[in-house]
Amino acid sequence: MDERLGRIYVPMSETAFYILFCLQEAQHGYGIGQAVKEMTRDEVTIGPGTMYGTLSKMEKDGLISLVNEVEKRKIYKATDLGKEILEIELKRIRRLYINSTGGEYNG
Amino acid sequence: MARRKTKIKFFTIADYEEEERWLEEEHRNGWRLVKLIPPVFFIFEETKPEDYIYKLDYKNKEMPNDYFQMFKDYGWEYCGYSLGWNCFRKAASQVRAEEEGEIFSDDESKLDMIKYLMLTRLLPLLIIFFAVLVPGIGRLRLTEGFIVILSFIIYVLAGVLYIYVFVRVGLRLWQMRNKINNKS
Repeated sequence: MDERLGRIYVPMSETAFYILFCLQEAQHGYGIGQAVKEMTRDEVTIGPGTMYGTLSKMEKDGLISLVNEVEKRKIYKATDLGKEILEIELKRIRRLYINSTGGEYNG
Repeated sequence: MARRKTKIKFFTIADYEEEERWLEEEHRNGWRLVKLIPPVFFIFEETKPEDYIYKLDYKNKEMPNDYFQMFKDYGWEYCGYSLGWNCFRKAASQVRAEEEGEIFSDDESKLDMIKYLMLTRLLPLLIIFFAVLVPGIGRLRLTEGFIVILSFIIYVLAGVLYIYVFVRVGLRLWQMRNKINNKS
């Protein structure tokens, strides 16, 4: 992972995190939006403008790639690079969670 | 066939929120936007007065099918394109939570659009100004006569208007950018 990507995606925005997290499985934009709503009990909504822009950026940066296009919907999936970045974020968030709830972080 | 009307209204690139509110007001008064004709024409059709939310998304290029499909999936109806702007609307009755009435859900994407506007609209204006208008004034001085004086006046007037629009739009976008930045 190069320095530029690290600056943009570590740490990443909540929107970017949920999109990348959902794209461990192939999915289209609206499907991601619905999944995020469900996972967060409607507390996190990603609008279509934000969704489209974030997907385009992530594709350009090589975090996700187009796997198919079905009925005018582009279906994406996280690439190896995307999964690597997601793993870094997950580790950071786990550490944050453990420390914020009074647990002991063991690396 | 429903009655139609055409309105002429000028909005700068920094006035898109005002434009959205104006389109909403027209719809509330029973006029539904059917077409945008560049640069300043709005075609409306008579309809049932209703609360609708209008949103403008600046893309500056023709967008592929999946872009329109995504807005459609989210319940937004496409209602026109003009000079880089795509217009969408949604009935207020279909919006259950406030976020469903927005096309941008975080500050980052709102800022991205403003930055993109500055880069693709404001910056070219600046370049044209220094590459065309400023050297033009210099060349005028080489010859003399009434036509030259007239052209000189036109040049100066165009220049002043240009600077006025540029500063006003630039400041406005800058303020919108700061407002979003300071909030977070």
